[in-house]
Amino acid sequence: MKRIAALLGKELSDVRANPALFVPAVITGVVSIVMPFLIAVAVPYVTGERLSDSSDFRIALEMYREQPATRQLDAEGAIQAMIFQQFLILLVLTPVAGAMSVAAYAVVGEKQARTLEPLLATPITTFELLAAKVLGALIPGIILVAGCFALYVAGAIVFAHAGVYRTLFFPRALLTIFLLGPLAALAALQMAVCVSSRVNDARSAQQIGALVILPISALLVAEFTNNFQLTSAVILQICAALAALNLALMTIGIRLFDRESILTRWK
Amino acid sequence: MAALVASHLTRRFDSRVAVDDLSFELARGEIFALLGPNGAGKTTTLRMLAHLIRPTSGSVQVDGHIGFLTEAPGLWDRLTVKQNLLVYAKLHGLDNPARAVDEALDLFDIAARKNDRAAQLSKGLKQRVALARTLLHRPDIVLLDEPTSGLDPESAREVRELILHLRHENRAVLISTHNLDEVQRVADRVAVLRSRLVALDTPAALRTRLFGSRLLITLSGDAARFSDTLRSTVSDIRANGRTLSIGVTDVEHTAPVIVRLLVEAGASVVSVLPEEAPLEDVYLRLLAGDEP
Repeated sequence: MKRIAALLGKELSDVRANPALFVPAVITGVVSIVMPFLIAVAVPYVTGERLSDSSDFRIALEMYREQPATRQLDAEGAIQAMIFQQFLILLVLTPVAGAMSVAAYAVVGEKQARTLEPLLATPITTFELLAAKVLGALIPGIILVAGCFALYVAGAIVFAHAGVYRTLFFPRALLTIFLLGPLAALAALQMAVCVSSRVNDARSAQQIGALVILPISALLVAEFTNNFQLTSAVILQICAALAALNLALMTIGIRLFDRESILTRWK
Repeated sequence: MAALVASHLTRRFDSRVAVDDLSFELARGEIFALLGPNGAGKTTTLRMLAHLIRPTSGSVQVDGHIGFLTEAPGLWDRLTVKQNLLVYAKLHGLDNPARAVDEALDLFDIAARKNDRAAQLSKGLKQRVALARTLLHRPDIVLLDEPTSGLDPESAREVRELILHLRHENRAVLISTHNLDEVQRVADRVAVLRSRLVALDTPAALRTRLFGSRLLITLSGDAARFSDTLRSTVSDIRANGRTLSIGVTDVEHTAPVIVRLLVEAGASVVSVLPEEAPLEDVYLRLLAGDEP
């Protein structure tokens, strides 16, 4: 654990010294915060048309008003709550986008900078090395998403109908942000680090790791089209699958990390 | 007992043999140089000794901890000098990492730059920080891959002094290098490698083996006219201006005889010195397989 902490400290110092690495994540975070406010607050305000008058939202409104937790909201508030809930999935992409460039660079970057060989000459194990690399990318991503979530809630308090912000503290919302998000990000980062230890180019790792965005995007689309309800139970099932995937990825990562090949065959 | 014993080390990469049946021992307090052209297997040997890669066959026995200075300093550019060292002190599990780093900063005279980012350092200073990092955990055996490569003469001299300091601390030091001048200045023994071990001995013994012992005698006047005087005693005589270069088998016995003969013949002897063939000549002859 001490060696993981030591290398993790280095990774975090490195990120602090190069905050530009997180520009994509900040952009993703800003977009995921601004979009629902544009749809649920700004557009109705500018056009003077209430969302609850639109037939497009009628089925969604009925579904949402049936839930005891949202029954006390007025019709406009219920639709806003629904929109804010659905866009939470977009917020999950923030740590993935942010940490991907860091994770993709994790091993291949050390090799290119010729800093890997002295590191491997220490008693550090492959598990410790990979764990520190993954956490070094994940922790800033989670901090960023927590910050984005705080802004999201603050925006809902200020701009949305009364009581809408409370729906952001429902188990479904909290599970999405603080369990599904980190687990999805962890899977993406582990894929990136695995690939990073087998390729000569950080971009390859970045592209393959980014594949995790596809199933998350599919969830978002399925929710928008009302084909799928992301309930707490469903989120927990997805999280269990992601946890298993993460364990498998760590095992695969350790096996793929061939110190000899990395030192002797990479140029 | 030797600090490090390499026995019949062989390493293949597919069909290519990088190191072939290499054996040697490294003693404490010894500086051992591994010389060889590019691709001779020096770095592969060091990596096997440092347990970074496995030998295809053969073994390495080590008595103590190893410190490995890689060919590139390998510092994290965005971290400060102190941060770089602190991470390694923790990775080595030192009891008091902060104190170990402070001591290293003082020992290597880099305390004034401890808060500078590694990217801001000169090449020589980076190498000094890398050397400090290599020695943080007080290794008994120090492996140095091209420690003065690309350094200016002043920086190279500083690194050489640090290497000599390691010998005073009774550590076993192995240097891989192309730099013959460096070997001449610091090495106790030299191994010439070209996949296989070509030669292994002290620099002086290698010179003698290849070129024999020679005396360089400087006279006050033309030296050629005294050559015949010496023919009865020595046969290998080369006169050049005021100097005579004389091949001898036993310097201690022959030198006084030669000097006496010269003085009796009326020569004014200015100096008598053992003549050393440049190590470069020794190295090139060994690599050319031109050994008598």
